[in-house]
Amino acid sequence: MKSVSKYWAIFQTTLVNSLAYPGELIGRSLMIVPFMWIFYQLWNVTFNAAGTASINGLTLRDTMWYLMLAETIELSRSFVARTVSENVKDGSIAYMLNKPYSFILYQFSNSMGETVFRALMNAVFGSVVVWRLVGAPPGLSGWTLAFLAIIGSWILNFCTACLIGLAAFAVEDISAFVWIYQKFAFILGGLLIPLDFYPAWLQSIAKALPFSAMVYGPARLFVSPSLDLFANVIMMQAIWILILGLALATAYRRGVTSLTINGG
Amino acid sequence: MPAIEVHQLQKTFQSKRKAAGLGGSVRALFKPEYNSIEAVRRLSFQMEAGELLGFIGPNGAGKSTTIKMLTGILYPSEGEAKVLDFVPWKDRQKLAYHIGTVFGQRPQLWYHLPAVDTLILFGKIYEMDDRDVKLRISQLAEAFEIQDLLETPVRKLSLGQRMRCEVAASLLHRPKLLLLDEPSIGLDVVAKQHIRDAICRMAQEENVGVLLTSHDAGDLEALCKRVIIINHGQIVYEDKVSNLKRKYLTTKMVEVRYAEEVPAGFSINGVEILKVGHYGVKLRFNTTQTPVDSVMAHLSQAGEIVDITISDPPLEEVIAKIYQEAALTPVPSPAPQRTGAGGRRV
Repeated sequence: MKSVSKYWAIFQTTLVNSLAYPGELIGRSLMIVPFMWIFYQLWNVTFNAAGTASINGLTLRDTMWYLMLAETIELSRSFVARTVSENVKDGSIAYMLNKPYSFILYQFSNSMGETVFRALMNAVFGSVVVWRLVGAPPGLSGWTLAFLAIIGSWILNFCTACLIGLAAFAVEDISAFVWIYQKFAFILGGLLIPLDFYPAWLQSIAKALPFSAMVYGPARLFVSPSLDLFANVIMMQAIWILILGLALATAYRRGVTSLTINGG
Repeated sequence: MPAIEVHQLQKTFQSKRKAAGLGGSVRALFKPEYNSIEAVRRLSFQMEAGELLGFIGPNGAGKSTTIKMLTGILYPSEGEAKVLDFVPWKDRQKLAYHIGTVFGQRPQLWYHLPAVDTLILFGKIYEMDDRDVKLRISQLAEAFEIQDLLETPVRKLSLGQRMRCEVAASLLHRPKLLLLDEPSIGLDVVAKQHIRDAICRMAQEENVGVLLTSHDAGDLEALCKRVIIINHGQIVYEDKVSNLKRKYLTTKMVEVRYAEEVPAGFSINGVEILKVGHYGVKLRFNTTQTPVDSVMAHLSQAGEIVDITISDPPLEEVIAKIYQEAALTPVPSPAPQRTGAGGRRV
């Protein structure tokens, strides 16, 4: 019990810490406002040009709420890849290892604490804009199911990003990998365009990859909630969390045993 | 049971060698050359429970590497070590419950939060009872005189104030062993004194062993009973601090003030005259070559003494002397060797 409560305490401390500069938190979250406005202009034109109310089952209203949630997930992602790689590069990982906790779970609690308020602020600002532009959001079941799927998405993102961060053991600078990961999330995760608008072959590839379980799954669930889709999303997340979690544990064990501390 | 037992501990790092310029960089890309650096060489020592041991040496001597192996952060290349009966690199997390660490250059307090928040978090991390944490915080707050600082965000504290909070935080879980890596770095004289006093008091009251690394001989004089001096990863000197002083503090400085003017051509055999004023002289001599009483006799013959000050050279000079002596004994220099790309880390 005590071993769980220490991670809960780390989470809480990061949560409080993320409020150290409330102005910065709000300022950063306001970024979603122009994003949503631009998306609205683009998709409004697209839907008008297509001359239909819905494309592959999504209306303009659905698309906008989908993009709001997808952006919220993307913009509130923790910087765990960067944090971990910096810990490795500047040697501070050494000073985190001499406390009685698991480094990986410490980072996890930490990244969750960083994410929560950012996600909340993004969702609030994003919702206000989208509500004004296209009308009311989906019903309560959409919020509930999406919320659970977002937690899965955060865990999955953590596994991927932390793995990238630990790559610093081998390659020192990981910014290229972060960049590639982000672009994959943009395109194959369905961040800019809902995957439903892709050709069938590309859809099936994208839907098998972890990126869609992070972004597309929860966002799609939000606009058309169903238990079938929910089960599908959660299962995909569980499979990828298992695979990437194992990879993460292995990479960590190997990295730590060959640890060379930078900077005396 | 000794708190620390180290036997033939060794750590070798491989570092990439690169010739200057673009050509060198390209060559290093295809044919990497590595230097092995022996940061710690066959180090053996013991530390008793509750002992205050100083571990000093110049930059790059292997102090921090040794401490990192003793906390289990680094795996040694060879050799054995036991800390509080744990093999540190095998039982790192179990050991962590019993040791406290302060790295002067790496703050562990959360920068944006008041220190008390970090202390409460540490209480959770070390699995202490909430009530016990409260009690302990008030104890430490008193010992380190930080009652008024605990609720200020750490970023607003001065370095001296912050270090007091850092050391207090490292003692929260009542460790049996405290590892202090340069705790007084960058502090002013008063802050240093403050922190030394508090460490000394806590160590005595709670029988905590302290292993301290420092560049500052003052830390050593104030805190430690025994000292190990290392250089190039090897022990060059190991003894009580008092013996160190007795053995190396053989030079005395004497300042004398006379009632009347100092006679012209004042000199004493075997004594170096540093300065002669109208009413005073300043001199230096080696007690093993020139007996103290003969110097004193000469000084009192020269006139009526009003005031006299006899002082030892600062410990820094002594340590510098030991380094120089150690540097004269030849140490094999690491030879560059070629290894494959996989052999980068050892």
